[in-house]
Amino acid sequence: MGVLKAEPAKIQDWATRSVGAYWKAYDAQLAIYAFLLAGLGLAMSYSSTVVTGVSPLDPSSNFLRGLIWSAIAVVVFLGATLFDYKWLKTFTWPIYLVNLGLLALSLVIGTGVGGAARWIAIGPLQFQFSELAKILMIVVLASYLAQRHDRLGSLRVILGACVLMVPTWILVMLQPDLGTSLVLAGILAGMLFLSGASMKWLAILTGIVIAMIPLAWTYVLRDYQKARLLSFLNPASDPQGAGYQLLQSQIAVGSGGVFGKGLTNGTQDTLAFLPVGDTDFAFARLAEELGFIGAALVFVLFVVLIWRVLMAGYRSEDRFGTLFAAGLASMLLFQLVVNVGMVIGLLPITGIPLPFITRGGASLISLAIGLGILQSINIRQSRAEW
Amino acid sequence: MVAPGIVDEQPGRERQLVRFLTFGIVVLVAAFALTIRMVYLQLVNGTTYTQLATSNSTIQQAIPSTRGLIYDRNGLLLVSNQPSYTVEIRPSDLPFDQRPTVVAQLASLLKMDPADINSAIDGNPGSTFDLVRIASGVPVATANLIAEEHLDLPGVQVTVDALRHYTEGPLMSQILGYTGAIDATTLKRLSSMGYLPDDLLGRAGVEEAYETQLRGTYGLETIQRDATGRQIQVLSTDRQPVAGDSLTLTIDTKMQQQAQTAVDWAMKASHLKSAVLIAMNPQTGEILAMVSTPTYDDNNFAQGITNAQFQVLLNNPDHPLLNHAISEQFPEGSTYKLVTGSGALADGRLTPTTLVATHPYIQIGADKFWDWNRAGFGRINVVTGFAHSSDTFFYQVAEMLGINRLAYWGHQFGFGAPTGIDLPGEVSGIVPDNQWKQDVFGQPMLPGEVVQSGIGQGFDTATPLQLLNAYAALANGGTLYQPQVVRQITGPDGTVVRPFHPIILHKIAIPASVLTTMREAARRVVTIHHTYNLVNEPFVVAGKTGTAEFGIKDSKGRLPYHNWFVCFIPLHGDVSKPDSQLAIVGFNEDANTIGNSATEMVKYFLQMHFKAKRDLRLFPLMKIGDFYGGN
Repeated sequence: MGVLKAEPAKIQDWATRSVGAYWKAYDAQLAIYAFLLAGLGLAMSYSSTVVTGVSPLDPSSNFLRGLIWSAIAVVVFLGATLFDYKWLKTFTWPIYLVNLGLLALSLVIGTGVGGAARWIAIGPLQFQFSELAKILMIVVLASYLAQRHDRLGSLRVILGACVLMVPTWILVMLQPDLGTSLVLAGILAGMLFLSGASMKWLAILTGIVIAMIPLAWTYVLRDYQKARLLSFLNPASDPQGAGYQLLQSQIAVGSGGVFGKGLTNGTQDTLAFLPVGDTDFAFARLAEELGFIGAALVFVLFVVLIWRVLMAGYRSEDRFGTLFAAGLASMLLFQLVVNVGMVIGLLPITGIPLPFITRGGASLISLAIGLGILQSINIRQSRAEW
Repeated sequence: MVAPGIVDEQPGRERQLVRFLTFGIVVLVAAFALTIRMVYLQLVNGTTYTQLATSNSTIQQAIPSTRGLIYDRNGLLLVSNQPSYTVEIRPSDLPFDQRPTVVAQLASLLKMDPADINSAIDGNPGSTFDLVRIASGVPVATANLIAEEHLDLPGVQVTVDALRHYTEGPLMSQILGYTGAIDATTLKRLSSMGYLPDDLLGRAGVEEAYETQLRGTYGLETIQRDATGRQIQVLSTDRQPVAGDSLTLTIDTKMQQQAQTAVDWAMKASHLKSAVLIAMNPQTGEILAMVSTPTYDDNNFAQGITNAQFQVLLNNPDHPLLNHAISEQFPEGSTYKLVTGSGALADGRLTPTTLVATHPYIQIGADKFWDWNRAGFGRINVVTGFAHSSDTFFYQVAEMLGINRLAYWGHQFGFGAPTGIDLPGEVSGIVPDNQWKQDVFGQPMLPGEVVQSGIGQGFDTATPLQLLNAYAALANGGTLYQPQVVRQITGPDGTVVRPFHPIILHKIAIPASVLTTMREAARRVVTIHHTYNLVNEPFVVAGKTGTAEFGIKDSKGRLPYHNWFVCFIPLHGDVSKPDSQLAIVGFNEDANTIGNSATEMVKYFLQMHFKAKRDLRLFPLMKIGDFYGGN
């Protein structure tokens, strides 16, 4: 394609500024909201660990793993902040290739439940590169669209962005990981929309995608995925199978009431009525144990976090920064709506994690990278104060 | 609000601002929609979902009560409870796609046929949320293995429950019965009384008859369980269980063993299909021994009988599961002459001294009704007629009485109605009269049928217990008791809930002198050597033999026959006194022996009971072959 080209980084601009000036430009709110959400995630991890009778600091405990990942995430977050995001524009192509390489590696040596190839073991920890792929693809798309800001009305640019996404999308579907591939689609749609791309073409393309759903049903979706969708439309059709999760999840949420049953006091997950309550359905556990108050807190934190992300994008003087924030905001919104929607019975089960709350090192590290880059964008604007 | 400088740096910024604002609105709308749903789930329907979560994880379950024990009359323990491991499945917790794997795993662990497990699950009488019993009496090691592999076997659980142990096994099976799994129809009837789909209940004998008393009252507890049905903790005990009452039988185990030995000998010596021996106290109606063969081992049922084992018992033509003493009826034959003779004396048709000419046969229309003794006995009175068991004598007496009076006296002696013994499955026998014949065959009794009825043939049938009860009434001077096998009921704290009371069915409306005459006649049966050497025993026996024809004639025009001997032992050897405390009936089905095998069987029992020094059994009489050997 030859459409990506490196932009010269203006190192001296920010290097000459004082530390105090950086701190003024640093978005402390963004960091605080992210830390609070990560803290809630750790609390749920703690709850799901102690109810199984495992000591929270036992080497095998999910809570301990969560702590380790959180520590790594903080370092990564700070590192990404210090790193000048403008280099990302320079290294867009290598980043793209590394992304595809890591996903291909996952297919070859990855392990997962039921024959899936998702996780790669790094020492005692497991890493899911499809999580990282979301951030890397945001970088690639932001760079691609920023360079073509003057041609956003053309179908060619929109299709070009889609074509860039296709290899990643295919590699993720091969794992298979329907959830991540949907998030990637959500990121693409959100970024195109926020970039200011032609609404006419976006509407037409959306129409075409909807028209292709029957094809996807026949050729792309696996049987268990179809079963989930069918049981969402009619939960009573299979109360012991896929409908069971939907029902038990709603029971968990509903039984939380206003104040919840208290941390570690949930019965739905603890007694295994709610399958995978510590992963995709972590929000159900949260709503059961912390109640409406806890769930509302999560929503508020996500809304203000997304607000800060959008603000960072709006503040950014260069298009890459704006578009990167657009991608991150799209990802957060999409995962929030689809995960919580699934837990509370508004949307079918798709296996999309809730950022921060669903435990998982790769998700946390990817968020740390994304938010770190965002802070890097914040502090490297010429107008350095909020 | 928008700084001009920024617009300058990024042309087209206005459009992007609109998009960002739109996106922001989408974020708020999405968060609002999710919140609305949370309000609906947690605030509006929180109570409902809390109940659902509670009913998910908590379940009220019964605490089984300890089933009452059973003792013999001397306090010997006959039935106890032994801890046993039971493997059960809650089908609702067994995902459909995992069922084949789980069933296969269980089958190999329990060494069962997977088909049996599947049919247990599918034949479950309750709902899919109720436990289904897969195997009882599972060895401890296997039970532990299954309990440990719990997570790989969803819906499967191991429980400890008490199994019945019958210490005497087959010896008492016909009396005690057994406990078994409840079936769907019974469950429907009893579920309001707290019976559970995986419950055990008495299925035969005393276990069935005294189910209510033995069972006690189940308690109730609320437990917390996980999704696989594993119990996490007991949240509360809502009602304490109350143990069942214990029973003391009227049965004397030693006499039962002696009866069994005598029956086993007769079965073997005469190649019998089935035989019965009952001993009773005529003064109270207490059953001292009751043997019916062939029989079965009730422990097999208690431990969970396999379908194959059960089919073998069911398909046995001699009905080992049936108590022949009360659940089958046979023609009484000559033993019924007690009714005919007593009735004629009571109705004044005969006096003890009335002589009746006994010809070789009597003729009614074209039919000849022969005496067993083709020579006849000449002119004889009722005592001699009874002693020799003259058929033509009693044909004529039946004619004198008429069928309705004969039937009346039959009912007076307890025939034609269940004795009311406290065991399930009793049949009533038949006492034919004109009304009965009219109802069943649409015509009155024919004259030939009337004379047949006078010697307990034709339509007449009775259970061995009915016949014994009639002779017990003779022995005690005319009181018909309700036979009982349970003497006393004792509560779990040791207090007597129900002491023993003899139950009188009715007093036979007959002068005492008539019964004295008939007891004399019964003694004469023995003293004239009609029962061969029984008279030589060191104990005094009065009784009556019977050779009851049934079925289809063979090529020589002869019918197969059952052997009866029913008797009583006067307390001090004087039959004029109604003081006997021991009456016995022996019955050999389809015996066809040279002599009366039932008499020899009862004789053997009495020899053991009275510890006779000499064995007077007459082995040649037990041989099969010569029809009409002795009557």
